[in-house]
Amino acid sequence: MSPGDIDRALVEAAQAGSTAAFSRLVDRHQKAVRAFLRRTCGDWATADDLAQETFLAAWSRMDRLESGASVRAWFCGIGYNKHLTALRSRGRERARENAYEADRPAAVASMSEERMAAERALATLPADQRACVALCLAADFSHAEAAEALNLPLGTVKSHVARGRARLLEVLGESE
Amino acid sequence: MTDDRLKALFAADEPPAFDPAFSAAVIGKLARRRLLVDLAGLSGAAVLGGLILWAVWPSLEPLVSHLGEGMAPVAACATLAAAVLLSLEGRVTPRLR
Repeated sequence: MSPGDIDRALVEAAQAGSTAAFSRLVDRHQKAVRAFLRRTCGDWATADDLAQETFLAAWSRMDRLESGASVRAWFCGIGYNKHLTALRSRGRERARENAYEADRPAAVASMSEERMAAERALATLPADQRACVALCLAADFSHAEAAEALNLPLGTVKSHVARGRARLLEVLGESE
Repeated sequence: MTDDRLKALFAADEPPAFDPAFSAAVIGKLARRRLLVDLAGLSGAAVLGGLILWAVWPSLEPLVSHLGEGMAPVAACATLAAAVLLSLEGRVTPRLR
């Protein structure tokens, strides 16, 4: 049985109300969703909170997942919307958050110079560009799958990935 | 080569493939949400039932009073039988468990 077939069977069972099947879907896709949100948020604790909210929202919307659709793309799409909502609602708290970020030397200190530079470069990208980079460059999503997850046109995803990649390479001092 | 370098940088953000604490947190929150939804549904049904009873009580009261007088001994016997059955559960009627 291929991973896609397993996902399909689990989705059907979860849509019929099986929490055990949904729990297995969480187990199978938690890594992809958490990694994606860590890269788009930059803050691991917030990312994990959003990932939990993502799965809770997914449970109540299971009936909307179409048969044959990519489950990880669907989860990441919900996570991305959660992230955008959180960004909007936290706009007013930006100053406080920046102060909090400045007080997190432990997380940054463990990073290499190169990673810190990449992290900073990633933080300067617009949210949608950053999400495209996180999916296509870091998580091996195809452009089509990322477009499906982020609800963006395919061409936009391709250009976001190209620009984000160029920006990161520029920061890392590499030319193509 | 450059993509490999980017991928290596991104790999530092990777969570473990399976984190039992994360799964448990999600399933725990899910169970709590389902419980709250069930409670809300039951509370709504109880309130609705109370309202309906309150609305129809004037026309229902004579019937209940009339039936109550005749059914009192039967209700007492049924209650006694239910109490005996419950107290013997597990010893006499294991299928009830």
